[in-house]
Amino acid sequence: MSGFSPNWLVVPVALPLFTGALLLFIGRWGFRRWLWLQRTLGTVALTLNLAVALAVAVETIGQGRRYVLQVGLWDAPFGISVVADGLTAIMLVMGGVVALAVFPYAMATLDYHRERMGFYPLYLVLVMGVNGAFLAGDLFNLYVFFEVLLMASFVLLTVGGQPAQTNSGIHYVVLNLLASIIFLAAAGVAYGTLGTLNMAQMAQRLDMADPSVRTLLAGLLLVGFGSKAALVPFHFWLPTSYHTPPPAVTALFGGLLTKVGIYTLFRSYTLLFPELLVAWQPLLLTLAGVTMVAGALGALAQPTIRRVLSFHIISHVGFMFVGLAVAVDIYRLAPGFGLAAALLYLVHHMIVKTGLIMAGGAVELEMGSGRLASIGGLAARRPLLATLFFLSAISLAGIPPFSGFIGKLSLLQAILDAGHWWVVAAGLVASLLTLINIMRLWQQSFWGRYRRPGRSRVRPLEEPWRRTRVLAPLAGTVLLSLALGLGGERAFGWMQVAAQQTLDREGYIRAVAPHPTIPPLDKLPQKE
Amino acid sequence: MPELYLRMLDRVLTPVLLVLSIFLLLRGHNLPGGGFIAGLMTAAAFELQILSRGEASVRRDVGRYLNRALGLGLLIAVGSGVVGLSRGAFMAGVWVELSLGPLGELKLGTPVLFDIGVYLVVVSVATSYLLTLNRLAEEASRRNAPQ
Repeated sequence: MSGFSPNWLVVPVALPLFTGALLLFIGRWGFRRWLWLQRTLGTVALTLNLAVALAVAVETIGQGRRYVLQVGLWDAPFGISVVADGLTAIMLVMGGVVALAVFPYAMATLDYHRERMGFYPLYLVLVMGVNGAFLAGDLFNLYVFFEVLLMASFVLLTVGGQPAQTNSGIHYVVLNLLASIIFLAAAGVAYGTLGTLNMAQMAQRLDMADPSVRTLLAGLLLVGFGSKAALVPFHFWLPTSYHTPPPAVTALFGGLLTKVGIYTLFRSYTLLFPELLVAWQPLLLTLAGVTMVAGALGALAQPTIRRVLSFHIISHVGFMFVGLAVAVDIYRLAPGFGLAAALLYLVHHMIVKTGLIMAGGAVELEMGSGRLASIGGLAARRPLLATLFFLSAISLAGIPPFSGFIGKLSLLQAILDAGHWWVVAAGLVASLLTLINIMRLWQQSFWGRYRRPGRSRVRPLEEPWRRTRVLAPLAGTVLLSLALGLGGERAFGWMQVAAQQTLDREGYIRAVAPHPTIPPLDKLPQKE
Repeated sequence: MPELYLRMLDRVLTPVLLVLSIFLLLRGHNLPGGGFIAGLMTAAAFELQILSRGEASVRRDVGRYLNRALGLGLLIAVGSGVVGLSRGAFMAGVWVELSLGPLGELKLGTPVLFDIGVYLVVVSVATSYLLTLNRLAEEASRRNAPQ
């Protein structure tokens, strides 16, 4: 046994919070002079966060174990349970990668005014909220961490106070609060009917509960988490808000936020309602198929770089969601194949999407505008950016040897195996549309006559120190995507371990071990 | 200009509110109270100050401490959890008993520290809300006053 103790699981939550609090002290006077310290401390914290996440991944996926920390030594369900298994570990690692990749990019692309408004502390608080949501073992703490990340993201979205930012920020916060209310209602229903919010205990008791309770809870959670994940009928908040903040914020959101929704859908449906994955399969598949196609179609009509990329996020959420819909279909593939494929796609998406938004943002800053009709010809002046943008783009579209190919291939294999050919068709149409879109992006920004319609406050590719901080993370994401594509088989093996662990409800319940002294459901005092 | 009675009330009530908030903070471990309520109570005392003395003067006195108090509160709260590692788990309660001679025993523990952290966070966040809201309100009333 290595020196890994469950106490390490608090690091991804406590460390960003602690560092964020520390940053509040730095540079109250002479901010410009102390800026480097804020940046350095932030980088160190995010690096440590990623290191701990990797250690968790080695322990959970490598050893096939689960780790549970009962915070403050209070047993479940009385205390707060922090649970890490393969799924959590993958999310933590990917969240850590995205956060660490965007951080230097943010240093290089933000203007001084926004940095001064507390950007870095908020960045760390957002990372804390995301990590906390991945680790939460009960519904209420999940809700709390959702709110933490909502508040942090709201401020990051509006920091700088441009009218367009405030406008989109209001849409964002209202629609997300609506989703939170639905989620909170679900938590209320769970507590009222099951008498617990600990997810392991909920899973135990749902087996005994009335089927209507299960239907209601599953429906509420689908709408609540589906809105966070930007599934199609609930996606409105995303395209209205993602294109207004500074590019670094869009890259961070695009890499992290919707994925929290996807994670919670994976966790809640596999743990709480595995039967509904079969019973509701037509509904889930329809949602997924519509999301894939609608996102890609919506992107066709968008006039600016980041608007196109935000619609692609929606389309890809559909791809990940389809993996959940076929998670328990076992025909001839290995158990958990569908979920593993979705996880691989999720990993690919988090890497590539972050890189692509960073690249698109760099183009936007360079040109002073993201309007595709009025920019062009950047390839000759910024060849490295053009190359990296192109490589990310073809990875997103799913061309080998990049990770998009293996991600899509395994997903489509899982769906075909379950016999849902029309979803495969929808997926292929969406992929084709993505390819068209992404080539349109590249062609408009990099080919043709050089046209630079505006000026932005920061031109990140002018000064050398900014250039490395923009291009190095970008190159990192491209290399990661390439590595994932080449080592796809091994990566898929890890995903399969994680997926099988996620689908093993009994193991999860045993690991959390909710206290048995609470009377089971039929012994609870009944109301007259 | 604030009313005379408000200024009189402020003289009497602000110390009472502040003492009461400390009382609630320390009482909170076993009885109703705690960092959150005590923090709101302190913020209420500041709001009384804002109403009677105006936003600008309160901002001058406490405004610059708010950001640091927020950070300090978070540091204390997380730090109190780290102390719990000595008992084997994050946030586990660690207690120290001090004997104060004739005054009896004093039990101090990390939950109290955590509460103090919460108190600082709530005070600073609530007070900065109140300061901003009152500034907007005062600006609005100043704009409307000359007509």
